[in-house]
Amino acid sequence: MTPETLFNLANPLALAGWAFLLAAPLAPKVIDLIAGTVIPLLLAVGYSALMLAHWSGATGGYGSLPDVMALFTNPQIALAGWLHYLAFDLFIGAWAVRTARSHGINHLLVLPHLPLIFLFGPAGFFTFHAMLTAFRAGPPRAEATA
Amino acid sequence: MIARLRSDAPIFTGLTLFIALTAIPLLTAALIDPRAFLNAPVWQKPLQFHLALGIYTLTLAFFARYLPCRMTPRRWRIYAAVVAACILAELVWVGGAASFATASHFNVDDAVMGTIYGFMGVFAVILTSASAVMGVAIWRNPKTGLDPAVQLSVALGLILTFALTLIAAGTLSSMPGHHIGTPLTGAALPILGWSREVGDLRVGHFFATHALHVIPLVGWLAFHVVPGLARSLVWVTSGAFCALVCFTMWQAFQGQPFLPWLG
Repeated sequence: MTPETLFNLANPLALAGWAFLLAAPLAPKVIDLIAGTVIPLLLAVGYSALMLAHWSGATGGYGSLPDVMALFTNPQIALAGWLHYLAFDLFIGAWAVRTARSHGINHLLVLPHLPLIFLFGPAGFFTFHAMLTAFRAGPPRAEATA
Repeated sequence: MIARLRSDAPIFTGLTLFIALTAIPLLTAALIDPRAFLNAPVWQKPLQFHLALGIYTLTLAFFARYLPCRMTPRRWRIYAAVVAACILAELVWVGGAASFATASHFNVDDAVMGTIYGFMGVFAVILTSASAVMGVAIWRNPKTGLDPAVQLSVALGLILTFALTLIAAGTLSSMPGHHIGTPLTGAALPILGWSREVGDLRVGHFFATHALHVIPLVGWLAFHVVPGLARSLVWVTSGAFCALVCFTMWQAFQGQPFLPWLG
């Protein structure tokens, strides 16, 4: 499978997860399972496979900015990095939806943060936390420790 | 303190916190972004807007304790939520334009930005109307627990913020830009950014919008220092404040800077 093929599979998969998240109140449990666990896990499998196959042979490293940049000149590693973004951003998106629900914050108020988390992950993570503070919601409650 | 603000005005208090927290990434961006727009660092204006609107929502949250009890229910909450949405829209717009190093206000060359500018004018009127609505409600409230002179000063300050801002900002937005006159080399007051060499219509807007701070402060001081004269002093100050706003606007139209020796 070429990197392009995998890229073209992963993008719609992640997008589907985000579409589900936008509609989360319709079926909270199922959508949380799909967008918060299943799709991130599928992406995690793709990521792990790519890293297992290509990481040892790649140039560069983690120690300096030029090393990291060199690492991403390898298409397989760059693709793995992209899957990393897709998987973790979606996971955080699902976490935000869940956390807001557990605090009784209306889903409409989460919606503006979701595109931010999708496109600019940490920026959306920041604005979502600012909103939690505004609601005095504080750190997320232990979620349904059943 | 915060608990009191929250129970009196949950939406405006939460919004103040949100505005303050989201200023942190903007401040960080200002430290690493060397770009400038119209002689000013691109992130200066969004930071000024976060500061100004944060002070505004905090002030409204503070004065909310003098609202009549019957205003706390549903209708007031919906109105406060609409005002909050308008404030957030203004901040996103100003910050978004800054990230592209382009104009937010007065941006009429670009079709999309021109349309947004029109909407933002409407939003600005809605967000400023909150001060008038609160001012009238406090004016009429028989149970604020305040001395009549102080109550009058709070109500007048809030109402004048709306009325004077509508005039000053409305005039400002009908011009092609905030500067009047030449030569423009960029000399400006720190933080406020007002020109020190030509007329600047933002001066009038600034004073107009701060009526809700100055007049209640005078009312409170007068009540403690000269209680017998407090009521008259509030009226005189309000009149003088309107005159000051008119004067700074007239001065700007003459192409003269406000207090050029400052700074």
